Amino acid sequence: MWPLIRGTLSGIVGYMVGALIATLTTTSTFSGEFALVLGFVFGLLGWLFGIGMWNAWGREWVGLTPKTEKAEGWRRYLRFNTDHKVIGAQYLVTMLIVFLLAGLVAMAMRAELASPGQNLFTADVYNKVMSMHGILMIAVAVAGILGAFGNYLVPLMIGADDMAFPRINALGYWMVPPVAIALLAAPLVGSFDAGWTAYPPLSVLNGDGQVLFNVAVIAFGLSSILGGLNIVATVITMRAPGMTWSKLPIFVWAAFAASILSLTVTQFFAASLIMILLDRIAGTTWFGAPGGGTALLYEHVFWFYSHPAVYIMVLPGMGVILEIISHFSRKPLFAYKAVVVSFLSIAGIGSVVWAHHMFTSGMAQNLEGPFMALTEAVSIPTGVIFLAAVGTLWRGKLWFQTPLLLAFFWIFQFLIGGITGVFLADFVTDLSLHDTYFVVAHFHYTIVGGSIFALMAGTFYWFPKVTGRMYNEKLGKIFATWFFVFFQLTFIPLFWVGLNGMNRRVATYQDNLGGVNRFASMMAMIMGLSFVLFVVNLLWSAKFGPVAPANPWNARTLEWQVSSPPPEHNFPSPPSVDGGPYDYGVVGAPTHLREVADPVG
Amino acid sequence: MKKDIVNATLLWIVLSILGWILVLNWNIFPPALAREARIVDDAFNLLTVLAVPVFTFVVAILIYAAFRFRSPGGLEDGPPIQDTGRILTAWLVVTIALAGGILINPGFVGMSEVRGEGGADVVIGVTGQRWSWTISYPNGVDVTSYTGELVLPVDQRIQFDITSLDPDVIHSFWIPAFRIKKDAVPGRITQMFITPTETGTFAEDPNVRVQCAELCGQGHAQMSMKVRVVEQAEFDAYLDEILAEGG
Repeated sequence: MWPLIRGTLSGIVGYMVGALIATLTTTSTFSGEFALVLGFVFGLLGWLFGIGMWNAWGREWVGLTPKTEKAEGWRRYLRFNTDHKVIGAQYLVTMLIVFLLAGLVAMAMRAELASPGQNLFTADVYNKVMSMHGILMIAVAVAGILGAFGNYLVPLMIGADDMAFPRINALGYWMVPPVAIALLAAPLVGSFDAGWTAYPPLSVLNGDGQVLFNVAVIAFGLSSILGGLNIVATVITMRAPGMTWSKLPIFVWAAFAASILSLTVTQFFAASLIMILLDRIAGTTWFGAPGGGTALLYEHVFWFYSHPAVYIMVLPGMGVILEIISHFSRKPLFAYKAVVVSFLSIAGIGSVVWAHHMFTSGMAQNLEGPFMALTEAVSIPTGVIFLAAVGTLWRGKLWFQTPLLLAFFWIFQFLIGGITGVFLADFVTDLSLHDTYFVVAHFHYTIVGGSIFALMAGTFYWFPKVTGRMYNEKLGKIFATWFFVFFQLTFIPLFWVGLNGMNRRVATYQDNLGGVNRFASMMAMIMGLSFVLFVVNLLWSAKFGPVAPANPWNARTLEWQVSSPPPEHNFPSPPSVDGGPYDYGVVGAPTHLREVADPVG
Repeated sequence: MKKDIVNATLLWIVLSILGWILVLNWNIFPPALAREARIVDDAFNLLTVLAVPVFTFVVAILIYAAFRFRSPGGLEDGPPIQDTGRILTAWLVVTIALAGGILINPGFVGMSEVRGEGGADVVIGVTGQRWSWTISYPNGVDVTSYTGELVLPVDQRIQFDITSLDPDVIHSFWIPAFRIKKDAVPGRITQMFITPTETGTFAEDPNVRVQCAELCGQGHAQMSMKVRVVEQAEFDAYLDEILAEGG
């Protein structure tokens, strides 16, 4: 616990110093906006140095010997630990906690929306609650799979002993708790009510809490960039002998493609948020029309990140699902090479489609056609992912364990998300559907369907590897089915209310939509309850579940060829790779992990 | 193997027919009171009809696989079917054709239809501010959503010149019964063209209203205004009435 306490103390001291400097040098009060910004920056640095960055790393910068603070058992998770498996587990637990928290917030939203008038909240509070739900869930979707499985599995799957930059990896993770604290503390200073999209001028004019939103999200973005950098570098430089690019497990390819995006586009979100901070604090007028700025500038820069961000969320999900489908169908992944090309194409084309979020914004008319065309072009590589999924399932030997069940659900939901996405890519229908509940339903199908269901599937699939114990299969299947069924019952009606005049981000709506909304709210509550099963299953099984063998799924990829959980440096001796990762049923195919010949014998 | 393909194809066809019966008979839209609303609904329906076989294709394989290809235990390997390139090529041809097809219609065709010919019969100014709308009628009278309603003549091409107060925030001018919307941005004037084709009032259907569609703060949900689409003579009378009141 000592590193945590030390980090907290030095974080508080850092905050005080930053806020004090701001108070003394400007007209800002101690709880004013500039003090919040400078306090957060110094507090973040104080926390990082205190938690262990100084001992493990900083000391080297001034010529001292770095100290590593070893710990065993659960204590190793509560410190600056550079083991990628520890970091993956840290991300998984953190993101699941944030997910459950943001899910509770969603339940409060649905309670408000269960009937037309103002019920639980004032309209003002509802906007703040909605904004909190939005940004927390975005964080989970961005860093859930990539942070947890990307860190835990990429080195194992490519036969490496760790990530390329282990200390940057630990640094990236430990930036997350201050981000969460800043977001959750925002209600103390007026909260933020501009949604996760934070469009100015609203986000320039609203309460001080917006400042905490901005600094927190910028810090989270930096963590995301560092994580992306690390995965890209690891895949390029750390592959075991024989692990050629064409033998990479498909999840590694997906994480690689998503990481290229994190590494290259996250800066744009940070830049747009910094511009808002400058407008608020320094009096610049990037977005204020009276000073010569324009609100449209923000929309372009913001969506330049935030549309590709959808693929940062969903590409790793595709990787997890295709991985599971191949192993549980016991067939080679269908059209592997086409999937790889599709991942990279989705990342590439996905970076140049952002203005389809702006068809109603009043941007130049000549942009509308090209952005519609590019957006619809994304459906072609995305279609290949579906071909790979159903092609692999076809005539397979399907072993319906919880991960495969969730993979089936994933395909169904991402299919609905993809198809309804076409209605939003189409210029004419988007003019109607934009900013309505149709969009809300669509992106929940895409992000919950495409990212969260894959996070759940991966959690069950790799649970034996991470914990060394088996989860309860029956409870797992009941949870998966429960979550899936009530997800449909919640969100299908929301497509309808969107078509019938309900816009998004409202606490109240027209009376005629009350019945359908009440139904959706009730179904949402039941859906939320399913997570009791999820949590109970995982917590109980982690402690009392039957001991897992090294390879309970009889899968070929490298992570299953080492003990559960894997030894500290992953492989007892440096591995080398022979056959492909998915050569199920291929006569005479060599194993994926080459048996290392005894050098003496 | 042949049998599997035949059965799954049959399942696909049955599901598609059921899906088409569903989507061709449903009426999920609120009243469409404008030329543009019909263009939007037609585009939506066309996309839905095309989406049905795509959706049912994947669903048919999922259902068929879930029932016919089970083998518990993870011990037996499936046939190592490798992609020979032919299926992938066929798949790409179909998806490119579909994407290209919808890009042309409803994509570019709808875009050109909804923009329509230049010029307008009536020009009406719209100003959003937190949290009300101000309508500027052609006779120079302003009416706000606090006290008034938006009255429009039927069968006239109306040009809305939309803006937001400056400084204020972004709003979005949306009339659900007309479907389309356009943002009101501080410091800019955006335009939207609508030709109402049927008379109607908010009392008849709550979708005959102006609704702010871009999050603008605490009054966002209630930033709305009743709309009444009337015959030309009634519109002229209304203009005279507000002029008399205003003068």
